[in-house]
Amino acid sequence: MSLLSVAGITKRFGGVLANREVSFDVAAGELVGVIGPNGAGKSTLFEIITGFYRPDAGEVRFEGKRLTGLSPDQVSRLGVGRTFQKLRPFQGLTVLENVMVGALQKCHDVGRARAEAREILERVGLADKADAYARTLSTGQRKRLELARALATRPRLLLLDEVTGGVDQRSIPGLIGLVQEVHRAGSTLLVIEHNMRVITAVAQRIVALHLGEVIADGPTEAVTRDRRVIEAYLGQAYT
Amino acid sequence: MRRHGAALVIFGAAALAPLVVRNAFLLDSLILILLWGTLSAAWNVAGGYAGQVSLGHAAFFGIGAYSAALLGTRWDLSPWIALVVGALLSTAASLVIGYLSNRLRGPYFVLATIAFSQVLLIVASRWRGFTQGSEGIPVPFRPGFWTLGFADKTTWVYLALGVALLLYLIQRYLEGSRIGYQLAAVREDEDAAQALGVASRRLKVVAIAGSAALTSVCGTFWAQYVGFVDPFYVFSLDLSVRFALAAIIGGIGTAVGPFFGSVLITTLETYLRATFGGIGAGLVGIYLIIYGCLLIIVVRVIPQGLAGFVGGLSRRP
Repeated sequence: MSLLSVAGITKRFGGVLANREVSFDVAAGELVGVIGPNGAGKSTLFEIITGFYRPDAGEVRFEGKRLTGLSPDQVSRLGVGRTFQKLRPFQGLTVLENVMVGALQKCHDVGRARAEAREILERVGLADKADAYARTLSTGQRKRLELARALATRPRLLLLDEVTGGVDQRSIPGLIGLVQEVHRAGSTLLVIEHNMRVITAVAQRIVALHLGEVIADGPTEAVTRDRRVIEAYLGQAYT
Repeated sequence: MRRHGAALVIFGAAALAPLVVRNAFLLDSLILILLWGTLSAAWNVAGGYAGQVSLGHAAFFGIGAYSAALLGTRWDLSPWIALVVGALLSTAASLVIGYLSNRLRGPYFVLATIAFSQVLLIVASRWRGFTQGSEGIPVPFRPGFWTLGFADKTTWVYLALGVALLLYLIQRYLEGSRIGYQLAAVREDEDAAQALGVASRRLKVVAIAGSAALTSVCGTFWAQYVGFVDPFYVFSLDLSVRFALAAIIGGIGTAVGPFFGSVLITTLETYLRATFGGIGAGLVGIYLIIYGCLLIIVVRVIPQGLAGFVGGLSRRP
């Protein structure tokens, strides 16, 4: 049985069709990339999976349980974590406290949650920033914080929205390494990414969206050579 | 102990004052400083820690005050019973507001709370058969602990101090507990909090309900102390603003802030009114203008509030 099953998702905003019968499955342990030009419906799809939007048709299931109709916090408690494309750290809290909020979902003891949060900060390389206020971080550091906070909820499926977007070139290899490390540690990941260098480095499989529809779904090498994907998005074969 | 330093100074001074001070006016000021500080702290539970800024908390204060007056005069019941009844009514009212305005954020929530307190003002001032309408209603004075009738101001100082300490400890608990961190997350960014599994809608309602019940309890004590309930005072927007203002000036979302704010505001107001106010004063209302200007200066100079300012000083090497 697949871990995540997206079946026939359709979402309209007024006259705009953001998602049109989008269907695909993600198996446990996979790292799947979602690509497509701006406006292809990638982020809308993430919002639907995580309960922030309701689809007009179709449903999302996670471990066989229906997510569609649940609130975002219920979805999170079932084991689906996410990061936001437009970063949303808790500005007035310290880096450690940000991560603690995530850890406190499953752990009811504040002291233990603090220890867990410290471990995760160590993992993502933010340990030295633990007591700094989140508002003082650089964009690259905020991306790491966003990831750390989501990891602290111990999700079985993690949705990452543009982990390397807006980050300077030098920080990208570190972030790629981090995503791979998280995957190796046993998480299943669904990753929206614009940077093809990043997606081909990390994803085993790619789902390509165009104008709200799935135009390709398969192994990374096959999708990056797919004629429709090249026409719609890449411009030329990406090798 | 160090992190409780500021609170120890304020509460310690209040505890020792009655041993030295015998002046009724000064003791009265002290009781009011403590009561207004406690009310601000109750407001802070929702407004500061959970970010649910209300300008309608006078509604809950008024419910608590009217409970004391009506249960005392009409059914001859103890104010302790009124305290519980008022708190239950306020909780119920806050659940309704919380539920109705759950999707409202920012200014819309503020407007909903103002509207609610204004509705209660109209009811209390027009329902003559029950509340005696706009004339207001006296709270019976019956000597004794069970009836909360104390001629001696010292007893009131310690009663007010006890409630103040309770609110201080509740706030401290909120700072270090799981629910406290979750409320802070909701305050900072509700969507991000939800994405981490925080049941923000339920938590907001819990915070508002707790804050409302505590505000109502203070309203009961206040009515019992002052001895008269005037609908245009207890349900006024002025009062709601006062709860919020003391917390903001003292340091919003800090445990000691509301008490700092109350010391400053209540002292300033009392002093200015005694000096520039009253019948026969040259310029009627001039004290309010001075008061307003001073508040603007305080907010301008130390926007983080007195608690943050004092904390910053003590952290310096």
